[in-house]
Amino acid sequence: MDWQALRLSLLLAIATTVLLLPVSIFTGRWMAESRFRGKILLEAAIATPLVLPPTVIGYYLLVGMGAHSPLGAGFSELFGRPLVFNFSGLLIASVLVNLPFAIQPAQRAFEAIPQDVRDAAQCCGMSFWRSLWAVDLPLAWPGVLTGLTLSFAHTLGEFGVVLMVGGAIPGETKTVSIAIYDQVQSLNFEGAGSMSLLLLLISLGLLVFVNLLGRYAGRLHAYRNV
Amino acid sequence: MPVDSMPTAMSELLVRLQQESPIPMDAELRCTGGQLLALVGPSGSGKTTLLRALAGLVQPKHGVISCGGETWFDSAAGHYLPARKRRVGYVPQHFALFPHLDVLHNVVSGMLHRAPETRVAAAHDLLERVNLAGLESRKPGQLSGGQQQRVAVARALAREPQVLLLDEPFSAVDHATRERLYGELAMLKQTLSMPMVMVTHDLREAMLLADEMCVLHRGRTLQTDKPLELVARPVSTDVARLVGIRNIYHGEIAGHVPDLECTQLRFGAAMLKTPYRPELIPGSRVQWVIPSDGVVFHRRDRPSHTERENQLQGIVDTVHKLGEITRLAVRMDDEDRSLLWLDVPSHLARRNEIAVGVAATVSLTVAAIHIIKDNS
Amino acid sequence: MRLFAAILATCWSLLVHGADDVPLIAAASDLQTALREVAQAFQSDTGGKVEIVFGSSGNMAAQIRQGAPFQMFLSADEKYVLDLAKAGLTRDEGQLYALGRIALFVPNHSLLKADEQLAGLRTALENSQVERFAIANPAHAPYGRAAREALQKARLWEPLQSRLILGENVSQAAQFATSANASGGIVAYSLALTPAMTKAGRYALIRQDWHAPLRQRMVLTKKAGPGAEAFYTFLQQDKARAILTRNGFAMPQEGR
Repeated sequence: MDWQALRLSLLLAIATTVLLLPVSIFTGRWMAESRFRGKILLEAAIATPLVLPPTVIGYYLLVGMGAHSPLGAGFSELFGRPLVFNFSGLLIASVLVNLPFAIQPAQRAFEAIPQDVRDAAQCCGMSFWRSLWAVDLPLAWPGVLTGLTLSFAHTLGEFGVVLMVGGAIPGETKTVSIAIYDQVQSLNFEGAGSMSLLLLLISLGLLVFVNLLGRYAGRLHAYRNV
Repeated sequence: MPVDSMPTAMSELLVRLQQESPIPMDAELRCTGGQLLALVGPSGSGKTTLLRALAGLVQPKHGVISCGGETWFDSAAGHYLPARKRRVGYVPQHFALFPHLDVLHNVVSGMLHRAPETRVAAAHDLLERVNLAGLESRKPGQLSGGQQQRVAVARALAREPQVLLLDEPFSAVDHATRERLYGELAMLKQTLSMPMVMVTHDLREAMLLADEMCVLHRGRTLQTDKPLELVARPVSTDVARLVGIRNIYHGEIAGHVPDLECTQLRFGAAMLKTPYRPELIPGSRVQWVIPSDGVVFHRRDRPSHTERENQLQGIVDTVHKLGEITRLAVRMDDEDRSLLWLDVPSHLARRNEIAVGVAATVSLTVAAIHIIKDNS
Repeated sequence: MRLFAAILATCWSLLVHGADDVPLIAAASDLQTALREVAQAFQSDTGGKVEIVFGSSGNMAAQIRQGAPFQMFLSADEKYVLDLAKAGLTRDEGQLYALGRIALFVPNHSLLKADEQLAGLRTALENSQVERFAIANPAHAPYGRAAREALQKARLWEPLQSRLILGENVSQAAQFATSANASGGIVAYSLALTPAMTKAGRYALIRQDWHAPLRQRMVLTKKAGPGAEAFYTFLQQDKARAILTRNGFAMPQEGR
């Protein structure tokens, strides 16, 4: 059991989720309420990490964050170390890769709020923040939480992108999924097995949680007996 | 628009809106405080869009909206107040109550302009006014349609609005509840001093509740008038069709008889007496309408008052028994072979053995005939 | 915004980069067991610690080009080291630290005979008895390249083509070679000697003249600090060399 790798994975998952919380709420709500040309393109762009092979994503991230990129060069200037092979680089990659997991469920949840309820909120004189807090979030929070939970679970399991962008550096970018891979290569099947089982249990638990949330959300909205 | 200094005019709603797209609109409305204006029209006529524009939920391309002396929208001046900056009471068609809040807090949501300590007490008061006292802690999911409607109205009134906007407020409620709610709204209306606009597709509802009725078709306001006036004297055949008049015909002005206060209208072989309209030019082709209740089935034993009625002969073409009422169409012998529609009680239809193909005599009440200048 | 990002990043840095001063070493995966032993000896002798990351030499070289924070690189093929030196990413051209050998490995469940001449393999191929055969990827793993050379020399490369499975590095090739579907593989001799492998099967050392020598070269990168320097020196001393020899490496002749 590589505790350092596990700790790293959990840290990465928590950090990713925290960063994605405002993104999922504001992007999800904005996309639910807006209608504009090119919205379909934006939705497709957000969804690309779902279909692209992780190696492709990893490749583009490496190009975009590597030493020869403006972002990578800027980061090295500031902190004296490269953005790739670095936890920070991994975090950026993780946030980008998890965008669809965080945004889509939140967007669906905000979309499920009927337009006339939003209209009523406006006619009650509620400002953008007030209606978000008093109406939108109380009705959409299960969807937001679903998105964050999926992001968390997905980050725990992310492998290809992490490997390409992170370099499997122990204590820095060697997450538990890479550690498992490593253990298998070293023929240490016991270590690999115990870590895998732990991840499996965590993932199952999270998915059960997500399903329960979904059911609860259904009941929240079912009041229109017309 | 100059603001009148008289009190009733102060709370008046004045609207003039125009746009081509995305939804065409060409509307002109006014409604004074304490009055209820019904917006009537078929589905797709733009009634809800217009209402939402009044609420400030959608910004039209051109026009002016002012209420209570305050300008809410003026496209020429580039001025627009969105919904939350106006004080409108908006009741959507399916009530749109906040499902996660109980009844009390739904109403309190409309009271954000008040000091926080006063809100709960004021909400209780309002709920009493709409006969919902005792239901404060129920959630919308536990309410009946009629109760939900009342909460929505209370929430709208909580805002102390300058105009009350109701979007088909009774369409989502069952028939029995509807009848009861009509009475409640009529009573509530008497206590309110702001203008009220109600969208409905139900003519009868409009006739019952509205002080003024406005007919809307494809976003265009065709005629605004007191309901009875509008039905008796539609300004065009479009309006006539929209208010449910089926008896629409062509005719020719034969002449005027000023002494008898009547104008003569040629219809096929018949010469009809109609209300005196000196501005109509003899010889001109016109269209004319008569509501079904202006047509009387002529019973052999019933004397006819020839000064107030026009007698016509025809053949019964259609008989529809609709429960207690039988709907008849009688074919006339004008050049169009027009059908004249009327309703008779079913027992009378039976007694007179009314059937298709039978010769019939009908009487058209003079006062009910309305001539529309032919604009075809 | 920039300030916010800077604060955030600094917080993360502090949170995560705990032991910053432990030098990071990139090592070819055939050194799995051997180098760990050397590192342990290094720590007990000098108290110095190193953090080692194993992988295929080609991949690690590419990462170093991308700016990976390795302070030292032990390659299984000196070509990668020399290329890096030419690119100006290292202090110098480094030192030869070992000569690698390859071995045929046959897992316990396989019916293959393990012999130096690969005659058993030849027979099995002729009788279509070979299921899968694992080697490291010749494209970027030196031990894969050596395996290919040896197989070509034995004229077994063509017939084996359809049976080959390629490991990402020689460690993975070894892992594949022990799996149920594999009839065997060619792995680093140093790996064949590890306890895990000796338990899983038997091996036969392949002749050195059947492949170009695996000249394993190590080098300090431009990022190297005193800790890495000390380890670099330690590796050239007798104790370290003895450990390497014991683990299946040959020592280079003195000099280059």
